[in-house]
Amino acid sequence: MEPVNLFDLASRQADWLAVRQSAVAGNIANANTPGYTANDVEPFEKVLDRATVSLAATQSGHLGFGVSDAAFAVKPQDYDGAIMPSRNTVVLEDELMKAGEVRRSFELNTAIVKAFHSMMMMATKG
Amino acid sequence: MDALTAALKVAASGLGAQSERLRVVSENLANAQSTGTAPGADPYRRKTISFVAELDRSSGGSLVEVNSIDRDPSPFPVEFQPGNEAADDRGYVKMPNVNVLVEMADMTEANRSYEANLQVIKQARDLISMTIDLMRNQ
Repeated sequence: MEPVNLFDLASRQADWLAVRQSAVAGNIANANTPGYTANDVEPFEKVLDRATVSLAATQSGHLGFGVSDAAFAVKPQDYDGAIMPSRNTVVLEDELMKAGEVRRSFELNTAIVKAFHSMMMMATKG
Repeated sequence: MDALTAALKVAASGLGAQSERLRVVSENLANAQSTGTAPGADPYRRKTISFVAELDRSSGGSLVEVNSIDRDPSPFPVEFQPGNEAADDRGYVKMPNVNVLVEMADMTEANRSYEANLQVIKQARDLISMTIDLMRNQ
């Protein structure tokens, strides 16, 4: 129907940002946990590139992640800094940078959706 | 569970773990001078805390839990205090193995981590209200 499926794209990005925020929250909460490896979500470009083939969780007993998380892989991120005696790879500064990135992208995302929505309302109301 | 709610839950578990750590630090500091009561008895032994990451099955986030609260096995320093009730036959008293400087450093670190978790909660809340604002008619 539309040349650019903007609402779908925007809600997918919002989903992805929410999953990333939750990954950052996990890293910050575990900043003092011995042996913990910091996680990150795969880049959004990759999510767009690949066709989404994933197992659907159709019953509450199914193992795995919540429905919205199923499409985004959360992986341990590469680490090239100094290895601490506790083998924890969380760098608090990096996590706060990521949180800032998520915030800015989310602001942009909601602003775009708002603008697009008002355009559609303009078209329908005349 | 929605991922932003999961982020809130994870950060809240971080707050809980750090405040538990602060409790252990305050126990150690409060008992930094607690000697035994019988001659030659052991004084207060320093407590340590360790955390473990736990996968939350309903949201996929990694919560943090208190793994265990253990006792520090390091030896007790001795002080010469013949008048103390815990003094042995040569007049030496075993003091608790608490180093106040170490406890202070631990307290500051717990404080910083608590602040970082609070920041995450604030931000997740802001993201949620940004989403709700989409429904506001302009």
